[in-house]
Amino acid sequence: MITKSESLHKRILIINRGEIAARIAKACRELGHTAVGVWTDNEVQAKHLEVCDEWVRLPGSTNQETYLNIPNILEVCKKYQIDGVHPGYGFLSENTEFSQALVDNGITWIGPHPEAVRVMGDKAVSKEFAKKVGMPVVPGSTGPVPTIAEAIKIANEIKYPILLKAVAGGGGRGMRICHNEEDVRNNFEPVQREAASAFKNPDLLVEKFIVNPHHIEVQILADKKGNVFHFFERECSIQRRHQKIVEEAPSPFIGEDEDLRQRVCNSAVNLAKAIKYDSAGTVELIMGENKEFYFLEMNTRIQVEHPITEEITGIDLIVCMIQSAFGEDLGIPSQEWIKRTGHAIECRICAEDPITMLPAPGIVTGCETNFPQGIRFDNCLYKGLVVTPDFDPMVGKLVAKGILREVAIRKMRAALDGLLVEGLKTNIPLHKVIMKNEVFLHGKYSTNFIATEKPQDQVDTSMDYSALYKKIAGIEARRMGL
Amino acid sequence: MRNYLIDSEKNEYIVDLSKTRTHSAEMVEFEFRTIKDNLEIHKENVFIRKLADQYFASTDGVRWNKVARQDSPSIMLNVDKVYKFYQGYKPSSAGGADEGGLFTQMPGKIVKIMAAVGDHVTKGQTLIILEAMKMENEIKCGTSGIVKAIHVKAGDALENGILMMEVEAEAE
Repeated sequence: MITKSESLHKRILIINRGEIAARIAKACRELGHTAVGVWTDNEVQAKHLEVCDEWVRLPGSTNQETYLNIPNILEVCKKYQIDGVHPGYGFLSENTEFSQALVDNGITWIGPHPEAVRVMGDKAVSKEFAKKVGMPVVPGSTGPVPTIAEAIKIANEIKYPILLKAVAGGGGRGMRICHNEEDVRNNFEPVQREAASAFKNPDLLVEKFIVNPHHIEVQILADKKGNVFHFFERECSIQRRHQKIVEEAPSPFIGEDEDLRQRVCNSAVNLAKAIKYDSAGTVELIMGENKEFYFLEMNTRIQVEHPITEEITGIDLIVCMIQSAFGEDLGIPSQEWIKRTGHAIECRICAEDPITMLPAPGIVTGCETNFPQGIRFDNCLYKGLVVTPDFDPMVGKLVAKGILREVAIRKMRAALDGLLVEGLKTNIPLHKVIMKNEVFLHGKYSTNFIATEKPQDQVDTSMDYSALYKKIAGIEARRMGL
Repeated sequence: MRNYLIDSEKNEYIVDLSKTRTHSAEMVEFEFRTIKDNLEIHKENVFIRKLADQYFASTDGVRWNKVARQDSPSIMLNVDKVYKFYQGYKPSSAGGADEGGLFTQMPGKIVKIMAAVGDHVTKGQTLIILEAMKMENEIKCGTSGIVKAIHVKAGDALENGILMMEVEAEAE
């Protein structure tokens, strides 16, 4: 008899929704595994279920009761004889209580071992770890700073401007820039309170604030035999509310500087090796104008923007992640074997106001795509999709690949023109402006791009009469039976 | 056919389909005009062509775009604004078609009456064609029911606010 663990065929539970759930389900099917998808009463027509083999309803109405309900998910795993769980991104993807519980129950966690997540999940601990293994870190306090006096002392050592930030912070919350001593005095306690309420941990760090920084990250992929590979870097400096909206690979800021690229990527590999990393992950770095780079954090999961790396290297990161989790060979002979060609750009398509960049929930009443060659659109869009405030407003990822950066941009422009989403506001008009912005075209943007270039102010909001007339004419032509 | 676009601040755009010209079995030309605050602010013709069971639209007859498959929507989107969209009638208008009584909303001349007393009519059905401001307007039924009375005939020139037809709503 073939027991569950010996069988090559696996039953994989995808504990996520939207485009990433569909992406994972496709990878499971490709490998011959059974993709078990989940759904809740809030999204009954969920598109990702179309590509799953089996479906499980998660009872409850809030995320706490559904996607974050560890006891129930463990029950589901037992009931449906699940061999492995893929968390996607967000939700439980970096929750060690969950991954440990799975491991304890003999279920494979499709992600890194819990210890790596524990170390990298804490900003202070991860920074200390990175420093120990020889990775440059942003100068600052070695641990939580208890008092204002202590913060000022460190600030004077590392020189202003400095950043006050929550140990447990993320996504731009719980951090403040201070240009002088007075700023530190005024901000220290408010940030502590913000951290306490948002993350239940008031501890603050002090670190040097990098002016005009670039957000560079290195894709890591490792197996359970100690092989760690990098798949080059991505640049994700175009952000709003500290969340990325446009990403590209390779980084235009690193550009032709292959020596710098090697140093950046190798430092990420060294860090991953030191933590005995055994899955897909991302080492995030901050790079100053002088091209000096520092460790920021490591994301111990698959990331939203992984497709651009797949496009320039040809790797399937999700497939490899699953193979790695079950102890299989990745089929990658050496680091040198991994090559990159061309350039890829991703625009995150979000249901949000293109000017204010705030989420704009609604119902999708229609969706049409008309793309040039070289476009990939990972999405969960369908007519009738209800975008609720409960979930992230991202509804799709438009990825353009070209042999040159200019070609990728040209394709992206054409794709944005060919992407029609009806019924709710999207940031497509904002992306159209970014793709024509001079600073973006020269590839010389920093994370201040949105703040200084203000593409949102250049969005043309005048009524597009031709488009309006065409829509009405289309309805009328059908009605009159043309 | 008159269309109304109303934004969250109650700004109203009236989009009139003022003329329809059939060029062939697969091509129609529509003339559109947009009226805001009683002023015509935009005018353009749109060609619709049917090919292989699909619809394509163009304003210049050179560049064509496929028309998205969409049922008559209740909202229209323009960049950062969402408009409520009504075709043929709008709710809460004084004496609008939605109460069962069909009133003129501007001075005009009756071109055609498309129902008779006693007819069973359904909501959204065109009952009268009224020529006003050099355009043909379809006056649609606001409720399903029976035509109770018709007070006008083809050729009549009418002032604003005249009751043309009464429809008695039936219980659903």
